[in-house]
Amino acid sequence: MIEEPYRWVEAIANRREYIEAQLAPGSPIAALGYRDGILFLTVSQTRQKIFEVYDRIAMGAIGHPGDIERLRMAAIELASTEGFTRAAADVSLRRLVHYSLSPVMKNAFEQVYGAPYLARMLFAEVGERPEEDLFLRVEYDGEIATNGATYAQARQDFAALSGTQQSREQMEALLATEHAQDANLETVVNSALDAWSIGHMTLQTDDAKEPPERAAVRKHREEQLTNAGIEAALLERDASRAIRYRSLSDKELRPLIRD
Amino acid sequence: MERSLVAFDQNFSGAVGDFPVLLRRKGLLAPAAENPVPQAGTPQKIWQPTEATTILAFKFSGGVLVAGDRRATAGNTVVYDRADKVLEIDRHSIMAIAGVPATAWEMARVLEHSFQYFRRTQLQEMSVDGKVRALSKLLRDNFGFVMQGVGVVVPIFATYDSHPKPEARLYFYDAMGAQFEATDYAATGSGSPAVRGILFYENNWGAKPLQELGEDEAVSIALRALDTAAQSDTATGGVDRGGKIYPLIKIVSRDGITTLPESKIAAVFKETVA
Repeated sequence: MIEEPYRWVEAIANRREYIEAQLAPGSPIAALGYRDGILFLTVSQTRQKIFEVYDRIAMGAIGHPGDIERLRMAAIELASTEGFTRAAADVSLRRLVHYSLSPVMKNAFEQVYGAPYLARMLFAEVGERPEEDLFLRVEYDGEIATNGATYAQARQDFAALSGTQQSREQMEALLATEHAQDANLETVVNSALDAWSIGHMTLQTDDAKEPPERAAVRKHREEQLTNAGIEAALLERDASRAIRYRSLSDKELRPLIRD
Repeated sequence: MERSLVAFDQNFSGAVGDFPVLLRRKGLLAPAAENPVPQAGTPQKIWQPTEATTILAFKFSGGVLVAGDRRATAGNTVVYDRADKVLEIDRHSIMAIAGVPATAWEMARVLEHSFQYFRRTQLQEMSVDGKVRALSKLLRDNFGFVMQGVGVVVPIFATYDSHPKPEARLYFYDAMGAQFEATDYAATGSGSPAVRGILFYENNWGAKPLQELGEDEAVSIALRALDTAAQSDTATGGVDRGGKIYPLIKIVSRDGITTLPESKIAAVFKETVA
């Protein structure tokens, strides 16, 4: 019955609905480009969500741990073999995502008899200057969103990943006003925590049209931070070292939080 | 349709974390060489590979000092007088090479990527024993080429171990891949007999044992040892006084690797060796 085009479209729509429901509770991740690099940040109770991919590339993901792991391994393999045969400078996030990951995810999504990837990923590649930072969001169906300038959109130096589109858009709206790319680490840690909080709050309210009040966001942040840990990592802009990824501990980050 | 070098692979090997296996599966690394069957008659050596000699390493008060002369030769010909035989593999590990640079540099590259690959996929640093074994495996895989008269590599591996107790660790290998942990010093390459003689003498009857030397004293002994080796071994460069080319010296300590600047080596050389 799937052979009929209409049935196929219906099957795909059902599958999309199913995956969206599975991803919906995913705790948000924010990535912000700043003066000295790129910060990835989330607040999590359970498993690790931010990972090193290659010298200048990191990723954050929400979804099924098995699928995240397979995609993470694939990304590391591809980047490592490319870096080995050519040079680290030739490893390109754009190519990794556009050419290798996206087609495979699209394929898995559209093969209605096979299992799709239950994962949504956010990649970032640190550049020599903040203007060269690249952020790419990859959806379970292979769809790619970038921070690059298009006719419809100005270039952004941040990206957000969340369980629902509404939550992500609230985070992006907040970062568009609050975040500046010449900020220092302390400022971006606070902006990222605000973005996480607003995204997390939106996940819990079904049909909020208006963004939550600022005071409510702060209160939510405080509550969440009492029983969950901050998970964060940096891609440092410092060119004197080849490997730019460095994870930040909760203990390092707590003193930077401002009220 | 042209297939790219980088194509998505469903058979993920990441769970194993073995980078050479991944490279071989993708056809990016030569398979382990077969051990050749011995044949009757005298083998004719028609081609001489470029070789690099002499390297040494010893523990001193500031960690492990690793030094190498700069000469690369092919038979009687000096191919290069600024060869780099002391290679950084990661933030705390150095591999120094004696033997064929083409093979050795490739090994160093595989090793460097192996350690990073392991850390990224397994989300933890490879243990020192794992790193030492990884190099041993590469040497073993290369042994077929050694038997064919090309590609012999005899490295030294120096690293800093933080578990269980923080200490510098020093290993040397034979061409077949056996690893030997050195308590005080190691030297390989064609000039190594002279170097070993000097290090043994210094360690037992010198002003103080090698492990108690300060940095300048250690550098001085390394320079003297390499210069001595160059006296009798044409394949060792020693210190090139005319061209002002000095051996390459790196130090592994708790804080990582330091490459001694040439000006510092030149100053020690001028004061205590020349």
